[in-house]
Amino acid sequence: MKRNTLSYRIISRLLPAVMIIGAAILIAYYLFARSSISEHTSSNAQMTAKNTVHSIEEIVKQAELIPSNLAWMMESGSLTKDSLYGFLNRLVTNNPLIYASAIAFEPDKTGHLFSPYAYRKGSEVESINLGSESYNYLIMDWYQIPAMLKKPYWTEPYFDEGGADALLSTYSHPFYLIKEGKREFAGIITIDISLDWLTEIVNSVEILETGYALLISGNGVYVTHPSHENIMNHTIFTRAIELGLPKLRQIGRSMIKGEEGFSTLELPQIGKALLYYEPITSTGWSLGVVYPYKEMYASLQKLNLVIVILSLIALSLLIFFTFTIVNRMLGPLTKFAHSAREVAEGNFTAELPQIKSKDEMRELRDSFEFMQRELSEYITNLKETTTAKEKIESELRIAKEIQMGMIPHIFPPFPQIKQIDLFALLESAKEVGGDLYDFFLLDDKHLCFAIGDVSGKGIPASLFMAVTRTLLRSLAQKEKTTATIVSEINTTLCFNNDSNMFVTFFLGILDTTTGEIRYCNAGHNPPVMVKNDGLTTFFDITKGIPLGLYEDFAFTEQITSLKSGDTLFLYTDGLTEAENCKNELFSDQKLIETIQSAIAKSPADLVKYVLESVRNHVNGNEQSDDLTMLGILYKGDEVSTDKEMSAESDINMLPAINEWVVRRLKQLGLPDGLENTVNLVIEEAFSNIVFYAYEPGQKGKIDISLYLDGEMLVIELRDKGKPFDPTAAEDPDTTLPAEKREIGGLGIFLIKKMTDRVEYRREERVNVLIIKKKVESI
Amino acid sequence: MNIASQVTSERIIINVEGRIDTTNYGEFESAVNKILENSTPEVVMDCTALSYISSSGLRIFLTIHKKMIGAGGKLILKSLQPSIREIFDISGFSSIFTIND
Repeated sequence: MKRNTLSYRIISRLLPAVMIIGAAILIAYYLFARSSISEHTSSNAQMTAKNTVHSIEEIVKQAELIPSNLAWMMESGSLTKDSLYGFLNRLVTNNPLIYASAIAFEPDKTGHLFSPYAYRKGSEVESINLGSESYNYLIMDWYQIPAMLKKPYWTEPYFDEGGADALLSTYSHPFYLIKEGKREFAGIITIDISLDWLTEIVNSVEILETGYALLISGNGVYVTHPSHENIMNHTIFTRAIELGLPKLRQIGRSMIKGEEGFSTLELPQIGKALLYYEPITSTGWSLGVVYPYKEMYASLQKLNLVIVILSLIALSLLIFFTFTIVNRMLGPLTKFAHSAREVAEGNFTAELPQIKSKDEMRELRDSFEFMQRELSEYITNLKETTTAKEKIESELRIAKEIQMGMIPHIFPPFPQIKQIDLFALLESAKEVGGDLYDFFLLDDKHLCFAIGDVSGKGIPASLFMAVTRTLLRSLAQKEKTTATIVSEINTTLCFNNDSNMFVTFFLGILDTTTGEIRYCNAGHNPPVMVKNDGLTTFFDITKGIPLGLYEDFAFTEQITSLKSGDTLFLYTDGLTEAENCKNELFSDQKLIETIQSAIAKSPADLVKYVLESVRNHVNGNEQSDDLTMLGILYKGDEVSTDKEMSAESDINMLPAINEWVVRRLKQLGLPDGLENTVNLVIEEAFSNIVFYAYEPGQKGKIDISLYLDGEMLVIELRDKGKPFDPTAAEDPDTTLPAEKREIGGLGIFLIKKMTDRVEYRREERVNVLIIKKKVESI
Repeated sequence: MNIASQVTSERIIINVEGRIDTTNYGEFESAVNKILENSTPEVVMDCTALSYISSSGLRIFLTIHKKMIGAGGKLILKSLQPSIREIFDISGFSSIFTIND
C-alpha cells in the first residue's frame, strides 16, 4: 500500500483507535473474568472444605456417642465390673470403626489399677487388663488430660506400630459413679479409632488437577497430606521453616486456633496458590484446601489466546474491508486527477469517470464537467482575440526589426581602427521608437557619429527617425562642416513637414588620428565628456534648435579635441528623465555622478553600467521614453602605430620624418609653433647619426619617437650604429668672427640651445639619445 | 626650396623660398654659387619666404659669407621670419651677418 494514498491515511488513522478500543475491551474483560474466577474459586474452596469438615464431623460425632453412652451406663449402674470384659469385646467386634476400647478406673484403696481393654488382633478381638505395674495409665495423656479437664478429649493422632499398624486417635470420656450419695469421678472410657477413613475422606477431595486437601492436628502435625513423608513427621511449622515461608507459620497458628479463612501462598512445585482452612471443632483439628492459581486461571488464559487470535483476524478483516471500501469510494478521485491533468494540457474533452451515486463525488463530477465547458468556450474566445492581437504585434515586431536594422549594432564596429572603441544601445519604450544613433566612417580615419530624439513615440516617431537617419547617411561628407550637414538635413526635414514633427540632433566628426572633433548641435542634450584623468563634465555646446522647425536656422560648428583616454558619452533625454514610481527623474546630476563612479573603462561597460543604474533608479517602473546611449573612447596615442617612426639611416628620409612630426604633434595636442623647432632638433640629431654613427655606405634603422612626459616633450632616437655620443662634442664659440668659425658642431649645439635637456646613453649595442623640451599643451 | 634672383650691376637679390635642410643644402649651395658667378659687391638674400633652416643651411650661409668677404663683397640677409631669426641668434650668426628687416 502506498504511503501517500488516501486509503492508507484513513486506515493509518483508524487503526490505532480501533486497536486502543479493542485492547481496552480485552483488558476490562480479562480483569472481570479473573475476579469472577477468583470469587468462584473462593466460594468453591469454602464449600469443599465445609463439606469435608461436615463428613468428618459426622463420623467423629458418631464415634463420640459410644463412650458417652457407655459413661451413662456406668453411672446408672447397668454395667458391672465383671461384665465389662465381655461388653468391651462385643463393642469392638460390632464397631468396625473402633480399633480398641478401654474403661480405665481410678485406682482403689489398695492402689490396684483396673482397666479392662478390648482390642483387635488380626481378625480376633482380645481382652486384657491394661493396668499393670509396667503400664501406669494414670500418667498417660489420654487419661490424665480428660481427668483433669473433666470433659472428653481427643488425643493427638499417633501411629500404632506393632499393634494396629495404623494411624489412630484416642477419644477419652470421663465417667462418674455414685458413692455414698455423692457423684465422684471414677475413670476414663476410651475408644481408639483408626484414622484411615479420615485419610480416605480427605484424599478423596478432588481439587482441579494438582490441587489438594490436607488435615493438621491440634499441634499442627500433618495428619493427611498428599506427600506421605510429611504425615506424622512434620508439623505445619517445621514445614514453614523448611520452605522459608513465614506466612505458612501464621496460617498454621490461625488454623490451630480453630479459625477459618483465606490466604494466598507461593508453594514449591505448585506456584502461587489459594488456601482455605476450616476447623474441625470437636477434635481441634483443621482442614485446608489448596487451589493452584495456574490451574484456576488456565482456562482464562486459553480463552485470552483465542480472543487475541480472533481479534487479530477481525482487525485484518477490518483493514481489508476498509481499504477495499475506501478505494472503491475514492477511486474516481484518481481518475479526476488524471482528467484534470489532461485538461491542463489542453484537452478540454478529457473523459470523466462515471459516477452512479448521488453523493459528493457526483457533485464533483458535475462541477468538473461545467469547468471543462467554460474553459473550452473561454479558450475559443481567447484564440480569436489573440489572433487579432498577434497580427498587430507581428507587424510592430517587423517594424522594429526594420528600424533596428537601420542602426549599426555590431560591436566593435571598426576593428581596423585601433584609436577608438565605441558602443551604443537603443531601448524603445514601445515596440518602435523615435530615438536614433548612427556612426560610420567617412574615409579611413574620419568617424561620423550622431544621436537624435524625435518628438513623440511609436510608429510616427520611428518613421521620422528613419528619414533623418537616411538623410544623414546621404548628406554626410568629410569635406563639409558639420554645420553644413546639419543645415542640409534640416532643410529637407522642414520641407512638407505638415505634422510639425522635429528631432533633436547632435552630429560629430572625429579625426581618429588626431582626436580632433568637429561637431554641431541641434537642440540635443549636451554630451558628457570624461577626461582621461577622470574629470567628468557636460560638453560645452551651443544649444541650437531641433531639426524640422525653421528651414533657415544657422547652425554653427564647434571644434574640440580628444586626448588619449578621453570618453565622449552621448545620450537621449530618456536617460536623464527616466522616472521612478515617485516621479523622481534620474537627472543630469545623477548621470554625472554615475559616470564618475563607473570603474568601467570600455564604452560597452560604461553604457551597461549606466543602464543598470537607471534600471535601479526606476525600480521596475514602466519605461516612459526611448533610451539611447552612445559612448566613444578615444584611445588615440595608446594604440597609435604612429607613435614611433622607424626610418632608414638615409638623409632622404627627412621629408617623411617631417610629415610624421606634424601628424604626431597634432596627436599629442601640441601647438603648430613647435613644428619647426622639433623638426630642426630631429633633423640635426638624425643627420648626426646618419653621418657619424654609421659608416659611409652602411645602412641601419633609426627609431624616432615623440611623446609627452608631464610638461616635457620627449624626443627619442635610437640606432644600432657604433657608439657615438653627440653631447661629447665641444660647443662652438659663437662669439668668433665669421672667418674663424668652424663649419662643424653647429647641429648639436642648436639642439642643446633649443631644448631643455639632452642625454645620451649606450644600451646593449644601441645608441639612445633623449632630448626633452618643456612645452605647454593646448 | 625655390630660388629666384634679380641681378643688377650693383647688387644681386636672391629670393629664397621654402626649406633649406640636410637633404637640399647642396642643391642650394650650387644654385647660389651659380648666381654669384655674376660678381657684384653686394648680395642681398631675401628670406621672407624661407620657412625652415637647419645647421646644414646655416653652413652654406657661412660659406657664402666667407666667400663674399674674401672677394671684398658683402652679404646682407633680409626679412628673416622670427623662427629663422631665433636660430641665427642662438648660433651666434646674427652677429656675423648683416641682417636687415
